This record gives sequence, C-alpha cells and structure tokens, in this order.
Amino acid sequence: MDRLREGIRDALTEGPVAGVMGLILDGGHPRPHLFTKGRIEDLDRLVVGEARYPLAAVLLKVLRNDLDAHLGIVARGCDERAILELVRNVQLNGERVVVFGVACSSEQASACQCPQPYPSSHLSGERVAPVSDSEGLDRLDRLSEEERLQYWMDQFGKCIKCYGCRNICPMCFCTTCTLDEDDLIQTGTIPPEKPIFHLIRAFHMAERCIDCGLCEAACPSGIPLRTLYKKMRNVVTTRFGFTPGITKEGKGPLQYLGDGKFGEQEGH
Amino acid sequence: MTNSVEELEDAACILIIGSNTTVAHPIIATRIFRAREKGAKIIVVDPRKTHIASYADLYLAEKSGTDVAVINGLLHIIIKEGWYDKEFVEKRTEGFAVLKTFIEEYTPARVSEITGIPEVQLRQAAEMFAKAKQSSIVYCMGITQHTVGVDNVLSLANLSMATGHIGKWASGVNPLRGQNNVQGSTDMAAIPNVLPGYQSLADDAVIAKFETAWGVTLPRKPGLTIMEMMDAIGTGGIRALYVMGENPMVSDPDIQHVKKALESLELLIVQDIFPTETVALAHVVLPGVTFAEKDGTFVSTDRRVQRIRKAIEPIGEARPDWQIICDVAHAMGAPDFDYASPSEVFDEIASLVPLFAGISYDRIAENGIQWPCRTKEAPSTVFMHKDTFSKGLGTFKPVAYKAPAELPDEEYPFILITGRDAFHYHTGSMTRRSKSLTGQINRCYVQIHPADAKKLRIKAGQLTRLRSRRGAIEVEARITPIVQSGSVFVPFHFAETAANVLTNPALDPVVKIPEFKICAVKLEKVA
Repeated sequence: MDRLREGIRDALTEGPVAGVMGLILDGGHPRPHLFTKGRIEDLDRLVVGEARYPLAAVLLKVLRNDLDAHLGIVARGCDERAILELVRNVQLNGERVVVFGVACSSEQASACQCPQPYPSSHLSGERVAPVSDSEGLDRLDRLSEEERLQYWMDQFGKCIKCYGCRNICPMCFCTTCTLDEDDLIQTGTIPPEKPIFHLIRAFHMAERCIDCGLCEAACPSGIPLRTLYKKMRNVVTTRFGFTPGITKEGKGPLQYLGDGKFGEQEGH
Repeated sequence: MTNSVEELEDAACILIIGSNTTVAHPIIATRIFRAREKGAKIIVVDPRKTHIASYADLYLAEKSGTDVAVINGLLHIIIKEGWYDKEFVEKRTEGFAVLKTFIEEYTPARVSEITGIPEVQLRQAAEMFAKAKQSSIVYCMGITQHTVGVDNVLSLANLSMATGHIGKWASGVNPLRGQNNVQGSTDMAAIPNVLPGYQSLADDAVIAKFETAWGVTLPRKPGLTIMEMMDAIGTGGIRALYVMGENPMVSDPDIQHVKKALESLELLIVQDIFPTETVALAHVVLPGVTFAEKDGTFVSTDRRVQRIRKAIEPIGEARPDWQIICDVAHAMGAPDFDYASPSEVFDEIASLVPLFAGISYDRIAENGIQWPCRTKEAPSTVFMHKDTFSKGLGTFKPVAYKAPAELPDEEYPFILITGRDAFHYHTGSMTRRSKSLTGQINRCYVQIHPADAKKLRIKAGQLTRLRSRRGAIEVEARITPIVQSGSVFVPFHFAETAANVLTNPALDPVVKIPEFKICAVKLEKVA
C-alpha cells in the first residue's frame, strides 16, 4: 500500500501524470476519485479492497473530455484487462495511460471467481492463483437444448430493464446503444423483449467481455449474466484463439469485418 | 414490515396480495425470485396477472375488491382442515373461537362465487401457506387503497396469527412502503392521530412529556387526514395549506375537486424540489433540496433507520427542509426551533420516542438500525413480535366481506384499477424529468382485455376515452389479457391525462384512505 501511494505521489509530483483514477474513502464508503497534484493529501484516503467499480470506464469518461490528458489508474487485474480492450478498441490511447497495479488477495480472487487476479505488474498485494469457475456453465451445458432455453427465458423474464449491466460494464463504451432503439427492441415494457434484449448484449460482449463479473453483481434481478457472457467468451477463444483482456497483441476477430479500417477510426 | 427485506429469501412460501412487486418494488421482487429459486412456493392474489404472477406456483385471479372474502375463505379451509397452528393460537392470541364461528359462513363455494377463484385453487393456496415451515405475506396498495383497506389488513393479520406465520425469521406480515422515507414520516407522525413513535394523544403521560420538552400546550384532538382537509377547504374550516413534497394535483382522487379546493385557499404554500402541478397553484413556493444535497435519515420499509449523506451543496436558493421549517417557525414566533444540525434533531427524536430511544447517528453508521430499539445497548430488531405482540396477546378481529363503494352498472360498465408503471414513480415529478425513463415511456395508456376491445372495436394504440362520474381522460389503448374482462387499468403518473380525474374519493371509514383501486368507468372510442 505504501509503495502504491509512493508510486502515485511520485508520478503526480514529478512525473508527467496529471491525475490518477482510484478509490477514495468518503463517509465510510469508497468511491472513484481522480487524485491530483493539487490535492495530494487526498492520497491518505486512497483505498484498495473489497469495493469494485468499473474504474477504466470512469477513466474513459474523464478522458473523453480531454483526449490528450496523461492519466494514471489504480488497476486490479480486471481493470487492466478492461484498459487493454479499450486501447484495442481505440477508445483509450495506451501511451497516455499509466497503470498502478494492485494484485488481489486470494479471498478477493475467489469472491470474484477471477480468471486473472493480478495486473502485469503491481505495487501492492501479492500474486495469487486464478480462480476458474465454469461450474455454472458446465451445469447448463449438460441440460437439453429445450431445458436450457427454458432456463434462460425464465432468467431473462426477471429483467426490469434497468440497464445496470450495460451501465456498469467497462466495455460498454459506445455512445449510442442498440438496446435503446425502439425499432429493434420495444421500449416501455418489462421484461424487455426476450430473449433478444439479452442476446444482443451477449453478442456485443463476444470479443469484449473481460469476465470481471460487475454486470452480474449489479443486476438487481439476479440474472446470471456472467455465465451467459462466459459462454460467448469461450466460443470466441475456441474459434478464434482470442480471449478479450488476455490476448495481448493484434485485433479482435470482429475487427476484421467490414472494410478492415475499423482500427483506424475514432469512436464507434 | 414485521420482517426484514433480506429474510424473504428464506421463506418457504410467500403470499403476495395486492402487490405488483416486480414493477413497484423490483429490489424486493429479487428477494422473492431468489426464494423461488431456492424452492419457495409463490402464491399471487391479484385481479391482474402481473409480472410476478407469471412466476407464481399459484395465481389466484380474484375479482377486484374481494380480498377479505379470499382471506376468510383461506382461513375457513385452514381451520376446517386443522392446518392452523394450535400452539401459537393458544399461547400468543385471543379471540380465536369468535373467528372460528365467524368464518363458518365463508365456505369455499360461497367464497368462490364472490371472488371468482375456483375452489380447488383456494384449497391449494390454503394448504401451501398453512403447511409451509416459514410463510410470509407481502402486500401493498392493492390491499390498502380500498374503502375496506383496514379490513383487508386485519384479515391478513388473522391469517398470519392463525397459521403462526408471524414473529419468526422469514415469517410475518410485510406491507411494502412506497417512498424511500414514507415509513419515517409515519414514524414521525406525519399523520393526524398520533404523536411521533405512534404515541397516543389520549395518554396524559405522553402529552405531558411532549409539552414539557416543547414548552407548548398540545391539542388533544386528532387533526385531519389529507382527504378530510380537501373537504374542509372552502367550507370555512381551512384557509391556508402548507404542502411539503406532495403533489395532490396528480396523486389525490377526483382531481377536479382537489383543484377547486386548492384554488379557493387564501394561502397555499408548497415546498418541493421541482415545479409540480401543485406548485403551479401555490402563492408561496419554498424550494427544498434533493437527496443529494442533504444530511439526515431515511427509514426504509423494513423499519431500518439509515443515514443520508450530503454529496453536493444545495443548488440555487434551495435549502434543506428542516432549515426551512425552523425559519418558518421562527417567523411565527417559535424561537425554540433551534438546531445546529440534523443529528441534533435526531437526538431529540431519540429522547422523546421510545421506539428510537437507542438510536443515534453514531450507531446508525453504515448499516442502519431497525426499530424498535429502546436502549443504547439494544440490538437492531430484525423481525418483530418474536415472543409477544406489542399489546401482549394478538387479538383476532373477524371482518366481513363488504363490496367496494362504486361498482360497474349499465352506464359505467367497467372497473377501473389505477396503479404504477415500471418506468415512472408516483406523480412523475422526478421520473418524468429523466430522459432515460421518458425514453421508455412518456404517455399514459389503458390496459383493456382482448375480449372487451373486440366488443368495443378498440384497436391497439387507438385513442380511447375513459369516463367516470367525476371526469374523463383520453389515452392510448393497450390490448392485453393481463387485465380481466370487465376491468381496465390505467397508471396514474401522467398529469396531462391523470387517472385520478376519474377515481372515486370514497374513503376507508377508519384511516380515510381513498379507494384508488376501484371505480366505475365507461370506455369510448375517440373518433
């Protein structure tokens, strides 16, 4: 923790970094905060731990107002995976984002069922083994197609269309969203049209989902969204040898579609 | 709620009656879904086949306003079959013999005729609820907003006591409160017949305590309920009205009457965060602050006193409600309204209200404390009535089924039910300012059963006029079997086509709640 604070303090006071996105303890609750040189004393209240936020998405929000800003981020394994994909999808400029890594404890790793509970390097914590959980998925895969459809229709039927899954997702960076289009999915009803509402989102997650599990944690209706997206992730890994957040180099498989210029375009 | 929200997950059977839970209390619905996934039986009783009804093991499609008959019918079967909790009845209650005799006439055949629920379903529900290890009742405005609202609640109390499903973990009677702090405002006696903490106006010791603390002489007579106020305006009883955070121009029944009443006031003061339909009629507007701009406490539906912490400073001229109230009091010559902070106000509450006596800002901390909490050492009360009821023994109060105040006739052949849509909250004063919510829906509609729509040649999306004895609105038709044939449903959030133009201001004789859930209307196609 001290090394982390020191690292951030040095980068803010001596380095080129204008601000560092992290969590600050405020009224007993951690919340995202941009630590800056001007308020260096805020660093005393920097926390890492149980609380989880899509910090990469918050960072992206800040950077959208100032694309050239040089910012840092306190990143757990999941946050770094998100940054990798945001860079690959031309949302963040990788050269202007500095990662201050935090390795998660084994308790955190198992609570999150994390496939990679550490970033590429870290200033705080110790590396622990990944916790792979495919139990939910295996169980569903063993069901007959009919039973599986019934299971998912039942789960999708609980949806209250709060958009929590999309709003919390560090990979939902689009500025317009298919899920808001009345022509594609009827607005004003709950549950939203099923299964299309959830399947559209699942397909959009195919080469993006970094398996952080924030969607499922945010879902007030307890829909096992992570299991759904895990399935997509597995398919993409098996078919294309590409795993979002893990595969370091190259484009995502869907980025080769169209005229092949996706990688050169800004935004989406 | 006698239980906590989280306990619902552990119930073995949940009887949901008059609650459109997924739409109106989605977070509580989640607990019910979890219970269901753990094997709990879900029974839904409602005249509409609501979303949660589609997840029920048993859905009883009652006729509107027949809840007392349904519950008496269940009790009849439970007592006849010997499925009631004999030990609980003997040790914890009184008046069972009277109930037993009274309930005789609610035979399945008769109840089925009144309610429209098949006898076999009544039997199934009775067995499911009575025999489950832990059963909970969840109810909402579908129970209370009737001229028999109190009777409905009493019959649910009878059911829970007879089956011993109260005073235990995951077992009790659970009304779901609507606003985030409606429990808190009731606790603090924003009702006319008690002092804070439900302390009686008839109790001399209570009165003496408050008179000493406040240095005033308190009136001993109960005041007026909101519906009685509307009637007392213009007849010389009330000349000025101070409305805080309420929008009766959309939320009260028979809006045309409400409007006339408010317009005839000599002085209307409205304190709110947005310019509502009621603010539009005000002589004086006092801008309050939103949740984000204030410190204080909210009390949630499960009696949990929680802290609210200011995130930003008040914007513009807006000020915290407690400061506005103190200033008004000062201007009226009451200098003792003198507090430095909300926590000082809370300390006064703790000193005068036994239910809150052990609660302070320090103890509330991050997780809140559930009342009753009578001493500084007392723990949070997770569920109520564990070993005894507040009055000692629980008394069975048999109630007879009574018909609603206004039923359909030849001229007005449909029952109108009003209620909530998933995307808006109450009078829309907040939610209709949200782009993402108005993007989902921003127009009123009426749900009509396909058979009725066919008969009246009304097509989906067509503008349809609803008329009651009090007024008319024109809204878009939604053809759906969610409603029974002979009934229509309109959400009441939309001021420009307010459902409450139509509703009947008939009141429950005891608590004066209006019958929002049933009035007679006719439907006409708009040319």
